[in-house]
Amino acid sequence: MDSYRVKAGPEGYLPPAAACVGICLPERGHALLEGELVPEERALEEIARRLLAAGNPVFFPGPLILWDWKEGVAEKARALQVLAREVRAKIIPMPDYRPKYPMINPAVEINPNHPNLTIWHNHIDVCVFIGVHCHYANVALKIIRGGTDCYTIAICGEVGHEDAMISLRDAGLRTLERLTAMVREMKRKAGDVG
Amino acid sequence: MIEQRVALMVDEVFQPTRCESRFITGSEAVKEAIQRSNITMAIAYPITPQSESMHLVGDLYAEGYIPDYFRGESEFAVMGQVAGAAMGGVRVFTATGGPGTLRAFEMFPCWAGMRLPIVCCFFTRGVNSPLSIQPDTIEMAFLLDTGIIMLHAEGAQDLYDFTLRAFAIAEQTDVHIPVGVFADGFFVTHTREMVTVGPPDVKLPPYDPHRSPVPAMDMEGVPVRHMRDPFVMKSNFISYAAHASWQQEILAAVERSRKYVHEYLGGLLETENEEADILIMAAGTAVSQSREAIQLARAQGIDVGLVKIKCLRPFPTEEIQHLARRARAIVVPEFNRVGWLAREIKSVVEDNSRVVGAPRVFGGMTMPSEMILAQLQACVPATR
Amino acid sequence: MTKQIFRIAPGFEEIMPEEYRELVTDGPYDRSVGVADLGTFKELLEEHPLCAGCGLALSLRLFLASLPAPADTVVVGSTGCSAIAFPQVGLHNIHGLFGNQNAIASGLKRALKLRFPDRPKDVVVVAGDGATADIGLEMVMHSWFRAENIATVMLDNEAYANTGGQESGMSPRGAVLNMAPTGKKFEKVAMPEIARESGCAYVAVTSPANARRFEKAIRRAILVARDVGPTYVQVFCPCPTNFKFRPDETLGVIRKREKEGVFQYREYITPEAQQYLAASEGEKR
Repeated sequence: MDSYRVKAGPEGYLPPAAACVGICLPERGHALLEGELVPEERALEEIARRLLAAGNPVFFPGPLILWDWKEGVAEKARALQVLAREVRAKIIPMPDYRPKYPMINPAVEINPNHPNLTIWHNHIDVCVFIGVHCHYANVALKIIRGGTDCYTIAICGEVGHEDAMISLRDAGLRTLERLTAMVREMKRKAGDVG
Repeated sequence: MIEQRVALMVDEVFQPTRCESRFITGSEAVKEAIQRSNITMAIAYPITPQSESMHLVGDLYAEGYIPDYFRGESEFAVMGQVAGAAMGGVRVFTATGGPGTLRAFEMFPCWAGMRLPIVCCFFTRGVNSPLSIQPDTIEMAFLLDTGIIMLHAEGAQDLYDFTLRAFAIAEQTDVHIPVGVFADGFFVTHTREMVTVGPPDVKLPPYDPHRSPVPAMDMEGVPVRHMRDPFVMKSNFISYAAHASWQQEILAAVERSRKYVHEYLGGLLETENEEADILIMAAGTAVSQSREAIQLARAQGIDVGLVKIKCLRPFPTEEIQHLARRARAIVVPEFNRVGWLAREIKSVVEDNSRVVGAPRVFGGMTMPSEMILAQLQACVPATR
Repeated sequence: MTKQIFRIAPGFEEIMPEEYRELVTDGPYDRSVGVADLGTFKELLEEHPLCAGCGLALSLRLFLASLPAPADTVVVGSTGCSAIAFPQVGLHNIHGLFGNQNAIASGLKRALKLRFPDRPKDVVVVAGDGATADIGLEMVMHSWFRAENIATVMLDNEAYANTGGQESGMSPRGAVLNMAPTGKKFEKVAMPEIARESGCAYVAVTSPANARRFEKAIRRAILVARDVGPTYVQVFCPCPTNFKFRPDETLGVIRKREKEGVFQYREYITPEAQQYLAASEGEKR
């Protein structure tokens, strides 16, 4: 049997949790690329490439980076905004995790209980999860893989997410700065100075 | 009270250079583990054969090792109380067993769904009417699919090791679900054995609620508008999908615990003479009885190996499939009527007609090693 | 100083949904606002999905406006109608299982006391009559016996409303409801008396029909729970859906019952709590 790969969907009615079909989270210094363990550098390059190639990249910052709740968050928030500008990505927040009643406006926010609505509504082809508590990121990433063709990237400060197409771990301010530098370098090489 | 220092690394507590040996009961082994666990709170409720362990944990409170401890009003209440404490961001411990397990049952899948890293010891006993306080592992059959990690101790040494190490497994960010440490009531709780324990002056590093995959409920973290855990039950597809994805994430968390079970317990199972024609696969005290039976069988020239299953959830599927490949017969002795372990093994091995779900004893009956020997002997004609 | 958890990270102000921007600029977290100020600040309950005229929804709004220290308050709820509104509440809150709210609150309060010994963290239980007087009564009473520092608020709509209008222990005698097809055969459970005898330092019966009185009871209950002992507030908040009156009649139903002498505002305060409240309320003046 071929080993499972975490590819962009739509994968179908109820896709499995990638962790239950053999995908393991990376060790320090490594990352997951479509279900395969790769050196972090390789994953960073692929993220930069995907973001630059995307027609409508969108960053989904979660509460851990949306709120200036502890030391170091403000710097990360700024670095994320620099990166988003560099790849011309929109930013749509995930301000909380509750099922929102009576209804959500998928144009302006994403909710982990129905993340596909936002992706469909905004025609998002590449997205980045960052600052989302791991449990809710995983819940959302599976729903997205099941029902949309969005290419999902998780920049995780803990140990990463098997259900994203690309997942970093231990990611912080430095990671965002490296990504931005990589993006700039790629743009420079491609002759894009804008 | 012995002055304790917080270990910098968990390994300082687990792989001590200054081991001590104690001739103690299983209940006393729990006390030794909890003394080194750096818990903030323990909550107790009496149920035989668990009670003594929580009396001893109470002594640790009286001695100053645990900041808070009390007796709740029922097992269901206690499981809610430890859930509240865990959501408040502290490390907690409790223990139950038998009818207590069933009384509290609704909370176990709830703990898992809430991603609470609670460690709970289960000291198994009979649960059915007529009432029995005697050893029987039937309650484990009911717990297999609650979403909690399940470790099964053979004796007091395992009980000490598993209980202490359970905190390290439960609290990993990518796991962060409850761990049940199971031991057969009376056989383990009330009998003495030599147990190697770590130095009493070191305890685990504290629990960090900010590394949790879900926010602690303390109004100190974000998001502020946060409920644990809201109904996800609207009658539409996306509500179902959200609930399904949540359930899958609990299964994923159990799956991710494998590597930590390897790291802290040295694997999900242990083997002896795994190349043998006949394998006994067992968990809990059935392992000890099997060791006796293997001695008797060897004296008769029967080649028997032993697979001791330490971790039932996650289940060592691949390991068992691999081990079973060579065996002509697999004997699964159990201390319960339903044979849940044989069922589990039959569900994963090829040609499961090789799996002998016997002997089984229950209601408190002991399992003479001759009973296991008889099953091994019965396998011999088929293997020669 | 405003806690950092209420500050939007720099640069994200524009993308935050409006309700959060309003919470930050006009929220009640570190301000001294109450029910008299409703309409002048951003409430902690966002749009809720409860029925029109729901007495419980109105009570919840008043309750949230009455909190003495919302920035350090955690609410524990239970299964029922209120649990559907709670995801919309701008505070950390917990739904455990049906009936175990006071057990969860006991563990939570003790944990928060140990983690934050120098800062009061108010733990308040808000649950329906089924959760409080029926399925959870054992855990409610035992939290009182143990003198846990928690305030318990019962939203008494006199029925199991969320499951479709069944009789509860708090339904009035004679009420014809599901599972009481010929009328309820016994009186309302005497919860205020039970609370008093079980060790509550402050007990009040109130309703949203008198907002000032309601606020006073909630504030007193939370303050006394913080420093003296357990407290109980019973809120009569009838349910138009299951008792089949018009949504605009909710407050009228309360006032009619009051007139008939069936519903009465009441307060019981132990001498110790009395002394404490005199000191703290005196300070405020």
